[in-house]
Amino acid sequence: MTKITHNKKPIRVSDLADHAILIAGALLMLFPVYLAFTTTSHDNITLAREGLQFGFGDQMGANFYAAMFEKGGFSEQIDGTSMLLNSLILGIGFAFGKIVLSMAAAYAIVYFRLRFATFAFWVIFTTILLPLEVRILPSYEVVTGLGMANTYTGLIVPLLASATGTFFFRQFFLSVPEELVEAARIDGAGPGKFFIDILVPLSRTMIAAIFIIMFVYGWNQYLWPTLITTDESLFTLVRGIKQITQSIYEGNDIPEYGQAWALAIIAMLPPVLIVIFFQSWFVKGLVESEK
Amino acid sequence: MKTTSVMIAGAMTAAMAGPVAAQTEIEWWHAMGGSLGETVNKIATEFNASQSDYVITPVFKGSYEETLTAGIAAFRAGEQPNILQVFDAGAATVIGAQGATIPVQDLLVDNGIAFDIEDYISGVRYFYADSDGKMIGMPFNSSSPIMYFNVDALEAAGVTAPVTWEEFQDVTAPALVEAGYVPMSQSHMPWIFTENFFSRHNLPFASANNGYDSADVTINMDAPEIRDHFEAFKGWIDNGYAGFYGASWDDNATPFQQGEVGLWLGSSGSFGGLQKTAEFEFSATYLPYWEAITTEPTQTFIGGAALFAMSGQPEEENKATAEFFRFLTSPEVQYMWHQETGYVPITEAAYEVAKADGHYDRFPAAEVGIQQLSLPAGEWTRGYRMGFYVQIRDVMNREYTRYLTGETSLDDAFTAIKEESDVLLSRFAQTQN
Amino acid sequence: MKRAAFSQPLMPVALLLPQLIIIAVFFYWPAGEAIYSSFFLQDPFGFGSNYVGADNYTRLAKSSEYAKVAGFTLFFTVLVTFLSLGIALLLAVKADKVIRGAKTYRTLLMWVYAVAPPVAGFLGALLFDQNIGPITDLFAYFGYNLQIGLNYNDTAFAMIVVSVWKQIPVNFIFLLSGLQSIPVAVREAALIDNKSGTRRFWDITFPLLAPTAFFLLIINITYALFDTFGVIDIMVKGNPASNPITLVYKVYTDGFRGSDLGGSSAQSVVLMVLVLALTVMQFRMLERRIHYT
Repeated sequence: MTKITHNKKPIRVSDLADHAILIAGALLMLFPVYLAFTTTSHDNITLAREGLQFGFGDQMGANFYAAMFEKGGFSEQIDGTSMLLNSLILGIGFAFGKIVLSMAAAYAIVYFRLRFATFAFWVIFTTILLPLEVRILPSYEVVTGLGMANTYTGLIVPLLASATGTFFFRQFFLSVPEELVEAARIDGAGPGKFFIDILVPLSRTMIAAIFIIMFVYGWNQYLWPTLITTDESLFTLVRGIKQITQSIYEGNDIPEYGQAWALAIIAMLPPVLIVIFFQSWFVKGLVESEK
Repeated sequence: MKTTSVMIAGAMTAAMAGPVAAQTEIEWWHAMGGSLGETVNKIATEFNASQSDYVITPVFKGSYEETLTAGIAAFRAGEQPNILQVFDAGAATVIGAQGATIPVQDLLVDNGIAFDIEDYISGVRYFYADSDGKMIGMPFNSSSPIMYFNVDALEAAGVTAPVTWEEFQDVTAPALVEAGYVPMSQSHMPWIFTENFFSRHNLPFASANNGYDSADVTINMDAPEIRDHFEAFKGWIDNGYAGFYGASWDDNATPFQQGEVGLWLGSSGSFGGLQKTAEFEFSATYLPYWEAITTEPTQTFIGGAALFAMSGQPEEENKATAEFFRFLTSPEVQYMWHQETGYVPITEAAYEVAKADGHYDRFPAAEVGIQQLSLPAGEWTRGYRMGFYVQIRDVMNREYTRYLTGETSLDDAFTAIKEESDVLLSRFAQTQN
Repeated sequence: MKRAAFSQPLMPVALLLPQLIIIAVFFYWPAGEAIYSSFFLQDPFGFGSNYVGADNYTRLAKSSEYAKVAGFTLFFTVLVTFLSLGIALLLAVKADKVIRGAKTYRTLLMWVYAVAPPVAGFLGALLFDQNIGPITDLFAYFGYNLQIGLNYNDTAFAMIVVSVWKQIPVNFIFLLSGLQSIPVAVREAALIDNKSGTRRFWDITFPLLAPTAFFLLIINITYALFDTFGVIDIMVKGNPASNPITLVYKVYTDGFRGSDLGGSSAQSVVLMVLVLALTVMQFRMLERRIHYT
């Protein structure tokens, strides 16, 4: 770690203040997450009557079991495990596609003498401006027209039409020292060789970082998967949560809140695990980008 | 296992009937999440098991709005399902788009299934019908606003559930306040206090025969009766006779469930959930009316949603849809739906089955919705048909809330509702040509 | 700006093409369709449509409600961006400074990043529930009657709190990594100059954070404008009524929920133009001041 340390000095008041701020911040951030855990351990009626729970109840195991393994849906085939798998496919497929596409595009924009490079950048960048909700009807028509409804491709590809990845990589490539490409050219390396031998290894950590961000984004999608899939075997976790909690407002019955909370926690875990697992990479990757 | 037995049963029937074509598959997009969705799945499974020619697959498509939009998107792409569930406020959109759906009455008759609109409960007959009284959409999950009351609270206050708003104002509310309760709350201002205010008092809600005759329509939000009603409501809120917690359903329902509010205007379908959450004895009765407006109160509108048969499907699939509707409206299925969800049965026959089975002896409150829908009909109780109605409800909620919280005056609120709604209606009329 | 290094004519085109094709099909085509339909009043199922010229636009320009929504959107975006960046910066600076437990803090602060939006919204809605919300109880304890869904300001407050809460971790991660990338030599030099901590931060650290900050600014503004949609939907419980909403939410209620394709298309176009103008401005003002490499 590249930091100045004063670790020989005794703890000072200002250090204590720093810790106090950090602890307060961490508590405020995490308290709602803690509540999600405690709430999951109660039964549906308590949750319907009283809402969030501060203490632990005795329904944790039952709720998780129901969420993960109780077969549901019309086909009686879907459960938490199958939805988890679909969410993973969506998250990983989206992150992977995004990295490939945007890395290629950013490479072209930054490293090539291209008359319309700036134009291309803006063409891509503009896509930040219009969320999917707004362009959902035409997108649906295209996807079904291509026969991609109810496929993983149809699920993933339209989501790829956004600029964030390209923007990230452009920022990163711009900050890669220029000497590297000069040296590569003197060595007679072509663009392909430079990309694979130098740029990709350099970007490894950046790729990891973007992978996480994109994975979480894909993982959390709701509206588009709901529209484009009708096949229960393609349902994702986030959709599963909505299906349980969405009671028509009249309140005919109380939703299975316990199970929904358990699914919510399951939906939280893979991204958290990935973030924690890649954490050192992640932080390092972004560090590189700003050097 | 279940599938296997169905397949075996199917194979046997096929063997007996000689060579048969493959099963016809149809799809049904719905908005029923949670336990409602499970009941929907149960109905579909039973239909599939009941015969061997057709297979229906229900698909949960999110909220009412998401389901309608999914249906619209699919229709534009030529990928529409056979059956689409559309909620009350979206009815004008789907009925206005003639050609998007096959009127359910035609569908049934064309496929040789007897149809008599008189078989249906009077309150549900015409809500999804056209101006000639032809049924376009099949009422599915139907409910009506009714008044629930906390039996303990009324006993403590020494009063009975009010029949009229005058009684509420002069007798019930003061007694409930005395007994330490907030007398009343309601959960849906456009549905309960507006649409059903018009039908309960048999008042015209919109021009052109409540909108049935033409898309070129204006709303009667300048009627003095509705203004007076809201002025009274505001007065009740101000002097503690009513609780007002915003436009959200739950925020107004929770205080009743927690025993703080004595009377709650909700849906006849709310019965099942209340049974689990309320820790006191409760019952229900008709929506009160103003004696000053009428002495002969009429029936209310249904809320909820209907099933529409989408056009552009092959003949044999339409046949399958018709057969499914026949199954769905059979007394047994309707009774099962009624029992499990609290929605009213839509046919007289199903109502009779429920009565014969003693359902209402066990749960008297479950009968209030259907009784209210069977009250005498009036000229203006068929329903209403207005386009962009979802936005009109948004405008109502916005202006009512502003008025009730003192942000704006009665005049300004009702002028805004009238004007903005009429603009929306004329814009909708322009989409229909 | 980097000087382009290679001059092969075909390769960059081949590299850009996949991205451009997907964007053309799934962004520009739908966006073009939105612009086209903003001049019509259309039956959603596609049966009737009526050319109305700029009617959908003039209607927006004249609507005081639309102006009110736009005003709130501006207020909301500025506040959410400022608060989530500010709080994240404070935490990042502190996490960069402390030695003990740095990694633990980092892990804890990053957790929330993984919470799915509907879950975050659900948590927020329950925390602030008018009848059974713990935060409402807390306010009541101090004598304030918090009425989310009824009182405009209270609802705005809750929306901002939840939106900021959700966005802090991303900003924290990026800012922390930006801080850690500041070379040791620079820090030591600053330390030797013996400036006060605050001066050191504003004179040395902050300018070095500029590329990160610029990038985050754009990310945060798009977040506040578009991605807070779910939070707003759940805080108003699907019923906007007199509650504050943002422009994107309005597009959703009118178009997606209310099936007014023409009117909502016009709103989308207005939104696109606004955001485009904003972004171009940011690029022109800020990027030329930032030095890469």
